[in-house]
Amino acid sequence: MNDHNLLEERTMKKRIASALLASAVILSVASCGNNAPAATTTKAAETTTAAPAANNDTQAAPADTTEAAATDAAAPAAADEGDTFNIYAWNEEFKGFFEKYQPGYDAAAQTLNGVKVVWTINPSDNGVYQDKLDAALQANASASSADKVDMFLAEADYILKYTDSDYTMDISQLGLSQVDTEYQYTVSAASDSNGKIKGVSFQCCPSALIYRRSIAKDVLGTDDPDEVQAQLDSWDKFDATAAKAKELGYYMTAAYAETYRVFSNNATTPWVTGGELAIPDAINQWIDQADTYLKNGYTLTSGIWGDEKNAQMFKDGKTMCFFGPAWYFNFCMGNAQDPEKGCSGDWAICKGPQGHFWGGTWILAATGTDNPSLVADVMRAFTENEEVCENLIVNEGQFTNNKKVNEKFANDPSFGSDFLGGQNATAVFCGMTDSIVWANATIYDQLLNEGLQTYILDYYQGTCDKDTALANFYAYVNEKYPAIQTP
Amino acid sequence: MSSTTASVRRKSISYAKWGYLFIAPFFIVYLTCSLIPLLFTFYNAFFENYMDGLKQIGPNFVGFDNFVTLFTPKSSGTIEIFKFAGNTMIMWIMGAIPQIVFALLLAVIFTSERMKIKGQGFFKTVIYMPNLIMASAFSMLFFTLFSNVGPINQIIQAAGGQVFEFFNNVWSARTIIAFINFLMWFGNTTILLMAGIMGIDQSLFEAAAIDGAKSSQVFFKITIPLLMPIIVFVVITALIGGLQMFDVPQIISSGKGTPNNTTKTLVMQLNAYIGTSKNYGMAGAVSIMLFIITGVLSFIVFRFTEPKKEKKGGKK
Repeated sequence: MNDHNLLEERTMKKRIASALLASAVILSVASCGNNAPAATTTKAAETTTAAPAANNDTQAAPADTTEAAATDAAAPAAADEGDTFNIYAWNEEFKGFFEKYQPGYDAAAQTLNGVKVVWTINPSDNGVYQDKLDAALQANASASSADKVDMFLAEADYILKYTDSDYTMDISQLGLSQVDTEYQYTVSAASDSNGKIKGVSFQCCPSALIYRRSIAKDVLGTDDPDEVQAQLDSWDKFDATAAKAKELGYYMTAAYAETYRVFSNNATTPWVTGGELAIPDAINQWIDQADTYLKNGYTLTSGIWGDEKNAQMFKDGKTMCFFGPAWYFNFCMGNAQDPEKGCSGDWAICKGPQGHFWGGTWILAATGTDNPSLVADVMRAFTENEEVCENLIVNEGQFTNNKKVNEKFANDPSFGSDFLGGQNATAVFCGMTDSIVWANATIYDQLLNEGLQTYILDYYQGTCDKDTALANFYAYVNEKYPAIQTP
Repeated sequence: MSSTTASVRRKSISYAKWGYLFIAPFFIVYLTCSLIPLLFTFYNAFFENYMDGLKQIGPNFVGFDNFVTLFTPKSSGTIEIFKFAGNTMIMWIMGAIPQIVFALLLAVIFTSERMKIKGQGFFKTVIYMPNLIMASAFSMLFFTLFSNVGPINQIIQAAGGQVFEFFNNVWSARTIIAFINFLMWFGNTTILLMAGIMGIDQSLFEAAAIDGAKSSQVFFKITIPLLMPIIVFVVITALIGGLQMFDVPQIISSGKGTPNNTTKTLVMQLNAYIGTSKNYGMAGAVSIMLFIITGVLSFIVFRFTEPKKEKKGGKK
């Protein structure tokens, strides 16, 4: 054993040196003919922004390390606060917006109101982001000022885990309260089981059916969003259209799990009740639909973040439908926006068979933060600051969590998205917000959704039968979450 | 002064204390970084101790419950740890046999006095090169190469074939993993075996050449028997490394052992327990099983390949 280790140790130095070389090779291979956005290319990779030189002589031991409850002073002056603003996130999306629009941010010095901003970004794939964040939050009370997590982002699939814990601060402690321009579901999602609001979302994420206009013309005879919606407003119609698309040589969707969110979001029971796992009926319906779609060749075996699916977004792609909110077609459909191989303008959105939402980015304050006023500033800027929200809509194609600003653009007939062939996406999304309900969330959702999609594919592929595929999924659940009883 | 007189009075001078002092750092590091954690793993295996979300459960003493869980068949009837141990062995054998055969061949060619290959330094560096690259980087490279939209499938399609889903097929996925391990480690094995062959007395090869032995006879009658101790070493280190197979399949299958858990290894299971739930109890139990399997297999390899005592002085 030791001989082996010794050998490995000897080669280790050389390996580290060659790692740089190797990653350069991989990057060049991966970027070859594939302009996939950041979210898809970070498979298993882990990027941590370089920590700055620790300079914490002024902030040896902050008094508020005991518990958040102790800090009843609403927003302490920034002068008393830490000199490093640590933000945890799972991709570069919010970072980009923050660096462009956050008032008081100095891009050259990477400081906010003079405080150094440090991002720690880990991919959410396989729960890596949650694991790293959990470890950091648990160490927050004893961490040095330079290492304390001040603010972090969370997604709908696991936000409950953080809001329903002592690791996040009530926004009233930061001097914030619910503002009526926020969409109610974003507030419900950020509230703990006692109704205390623990964070704010800078996005509202109703998810739409995103379709290729040219393919819709071929298959449905029209590319008008209202007419397309009329032909795809139920699963029966959707399935019938899939068969028709197949006859014409098209795929209905590019990933077998493309419609997963539409079903899972409309589930009437949670994944886990009283510690017992039960697959919700809606998800069982998806299992059957995906099976049919794969068997009939209506879709591909790609994962929802797979390169194969992303390749279908190019001009020569054969796929008619994608599902996603504003952040999806603006942040994750880079291939479609590719100036050479893409097909910007050949897209449009409509509600699709069932209303649903997907993702969302909530901003939460970590208990023990030594920069509470900065967290409050960021929260305010991305929900209440109309200028920031307008920039998010006009420049970034986002659908913000500010009703007033959204409606202003929704009612502007001259406003439209080039990517969507001039369609006013904001108006479409405004009409969909009412169908979003925050219900049935559990702290386990992300990994359960991810795991089921992975393991059920073996059944679709014929590698094993359905029971074995589900047994593999249950075994995975047992490993990830020992507290859950599986069938 | 007094010390000199003292040492003069003694019969002999003992330098042993200096020896102990010099080897102390190793033992201190081994004790704190290896032995104590090892014993602690055994201790942990008897406790229920994990995180449920952000809540800590346990540690509660549960006796052998973790082992019972480990050996309880799942609803599909499989006992997972056996399946994962099997996966590990299959993928190891698929990589290790070609690795050793290939390395042996190269080692013989490079050390052959008759061939006298030019530019040996270059070839040795090249075959060792893959070992310098991180396994994770290597895996990412192959993942990209063999993905459904990767270059290999583009070539297949350009030649008129259908997309072959390498990572959704049991044997292609296993073969790719075994191949990466082979590619990474055969250079290392070659260097070791070359050192072994060069350690064999050159006069034996000359004597064989004078007697008119064929290359194959030299190989099987001289090289192999005298190389046996090195081969045993290579097999055991490769076996232990193979049982700890983790990085390559973890990345190739995104940590999920797809398809149908056929590329999931024991250490991947260990990692799955320790990852999200910090389940030290179950992870400890898996570690102990891994420890036992490693011990047993190493013992078997050692027993079967150990030179017999009576050979001493018998053979030339």
